[in-house]
Amino acid sequence: MKKSIVMAAVAGLLASTAMAQAEDVKVGALMDVTGPLASFIPPLMNAANFAIKHVNDGGGLLTGKAVLVVGDSQAASQPAVDAANKLVNVENVPIIMGALASGSTIAAATAVTIPAGVVQISPTATSPSMTDMKDGDHLFRLVPSDNYQGEVLTKIVLAEGIKKVAITYVNNDYGVGIATTFNEAFKKAGGEVTAFEKHEDKKNSYRSEIATLSKGKPEALVVIAYASGSGSKIVKQAIEGGFFSRFIGTDGLRDDQLIKEVGADALKDSFFSAPTSPDKNDASAKLHEMFNAEYKEGADKPFVDQTYDATFLAALAVEKAGSTDRTKMSQALRDVASAPGEVIGPGEWAKAKELIKAGKDINYEGAGGSYEFDANGDVTGYIGKFVVDGETYKQIAIFQ
Amino acid sequence: MMEFINFYLIPGLALGSIYALGAIGISMIFGILRFAHFAHGDVMTLGAYGTLTAVWTLGLHPLLALPVGIVFAVLSVLAVDKVFYKPLRELPTIYTVIASFGVALIFRSLIQLVWGSQNEVFIRGVQKPVVLFDLLRVSLLHLEAIAIIVGVAIALHYFLSRTQTGRSMRAVSDNAELARVAGLDTEKVVRATWIIGGSLAAIAGVLAGLDTNIQPNLGWNLILPMFAAAILGGIGKPMGALLGGMVIGLVEELSSYPWLTDEPLINPSYKTATAFLMMVILLIFRPQGLLKGRLF
Repeated sequence: MKKSIVMAAVAGLLASTAMAQAEDVKVGALMDVTGPLASFIPPLMNAANFAIKHVNDGGGLLTGKAVLVVGDSQAASQPAVDAANKLVNVENVPIIMGALASGSTIAAATAVTIPAGVVQISPTATSPSMTDMKDGDHLFRLVPSDNYQGEVLTKIVLAEGIKKVAITYVNNDYGVGIATTFNEAFKKAGGEVTAFEKHEDKKNSYRSEIATLSKGKPEALVVIAYASGSGSKIVKQAIEGGFFSRFIGTDGLRDDQLIKEVGADALKDSFFSAPTSPDKNDASAKLHEMFNAEYKEGADKPFVDQTYDATFLAALAVEKAGSTDRTKMSQALRDVASAPGEVIGPGEWAKAKELIKAGKDINYEGAGGSYEFDANGDVTGYIGKFVVDGETYKQIAIFQ
Repeated sequence: MMEFINFYLIPGLALGSIYALGAIGISMIFGILRFAHFAHGDVMTLGAYGTLTAVWTLGLHPLLALPVGIVFAVLSVLAVDKVFYKPLRELPTIYTVIASFGVALIFRSLIQLVWGSQNEVFIRGVQKPVVLFDLLRVSLLHLEAIAIIVGVAIALHYFLSRTQTGRSMRAVSDNAELARVAGLDTEKVVRATWIIGGSLAAIAGVLAGLDTNIQPNLGWNLILPMFAAAILGGIGKPMGALLGGMVIGLVEELSSYPWLTDEPLINPSYKTATAFLMMVILLIFRPQGLLKGRLF
């Protein structure tokens, strides 16, 4: 894992510094390689590279090869703007896959890609505030908004017989978004919220926050934070202090890192919600098989499907547009992602290229869903309920 | 009352110890070399990763593997001083300050290259707290951190007041020009400064890593409160930095205790701001810091 991320970073560096051959097409990617999402990244980097590999194995992009140019957005605003600036103004990419965190996606979009008119497809950003952004049809995402996850999580929590919770959330676009929607949905459904407190990322001790949250005898603590950021620390310190033994988390916390730091035993009563791929999905099964054959592991890691699909869609949009003209990308993306059209699945680049060349309409049905974008660039999707199972997570229910 | 000691006072003291260990180095370097060493947080991170490697290869408890991390951090700062800081020493100090920013970035990138960017932990799983008389419920690590800072305070005081090198350091700190004319080997003093500063930073890095987890930004995230501690204590005064670190750590944790009502006095999400506010107010009334530091 470590080696692959270093390799990817080096590859990115080489790709960006070496003079690309005239006909090669750069596809931009904003990945939160360092920072609080770091532990998610290695399989996702593989997923993005895998999609590009499929493109090149299947006949390449336009007249040359596709080259993935990676920028590290660090799951924070300022680095995201810097990285996006480099991709847009130095590398001159026609389209960008990423970023992963809501905060870095929104920052890159507002400051760089929307003004520059570059289409950005985030595989994972869930913040509700992205729906209403005036993006001129440049910002897309492949996971449902947290307005939806908040409602599903409410159902899951109440179904577990939990009526009284305390909520703590990380103070960024992701945390504020989902915490607010969950808080409202939970109260509306008759639940009681004893405390609703934000916290700052990157602190060492959250003990005084947790002591405050435990007042009012809540049955469980809802932790909306990234596991590699504040999430694991909060869970660990809450258990050590004897304040909480049951935790409810969202996609940011559902990370193997949490189990690594806290241990599976201490999490046996906890459960998590996260965007997931549709049940019994041939496209997903097929991608996972190919992925594990290539990289030996990691196909079932969070957001591998979506990251692969986002990268593949970005390449399809360029192919459909027939050039690297940025102004054509958003229409081309909508054309290749939405019905009607001949269905294309993961890995079927040669077929897609053929059809586009013949002037036929195509419809990409990815591993993570069918991606019919609405007017805001949002999709409907699936939310899964997860519990800890050994060193990783097991999906035990799915909601649409 | 026990809640106050268990969840506010002792964690506050432990956090303060980590800040203090880092701040002593920052303050000493400022005193001797006259520049703000922004790479100090990353020296902490290096110490933590050095120790982590020893834990992995030798299977020791992190505190026993600590010497490896200390040696690693000290060798790194000595090398960096020789290559990057020494050639700039005759120039205005702003050059060295900016160079230290660059060194910070270099350290962090190297750490990511060698160890990867994901989080690591010294000890997996939840650490059961020590429970005494059914009342006191504290993490063993916090007791260790407090014990370490007491030991460091005593050793530092002895070193600065009784040893030849310690006295030379104070002399250079007071007036470098005069000390040189009087025949003191300033390069030797500089070396001692880096060795002490690097060692304490490595200890701080390991304690911070034990308390939470180890990742490439471990020390960088702590650099602001550590600078605040060094300034609060009186920049250039190691004992002041120690005191400043404890004050900043305690204020951060104690400000959210429900002092007056059942609600926390100040919302915990503002605890960092509270510590800085206190520093600013104190400096308005006592610009030289707690222990008469350097003034410009």
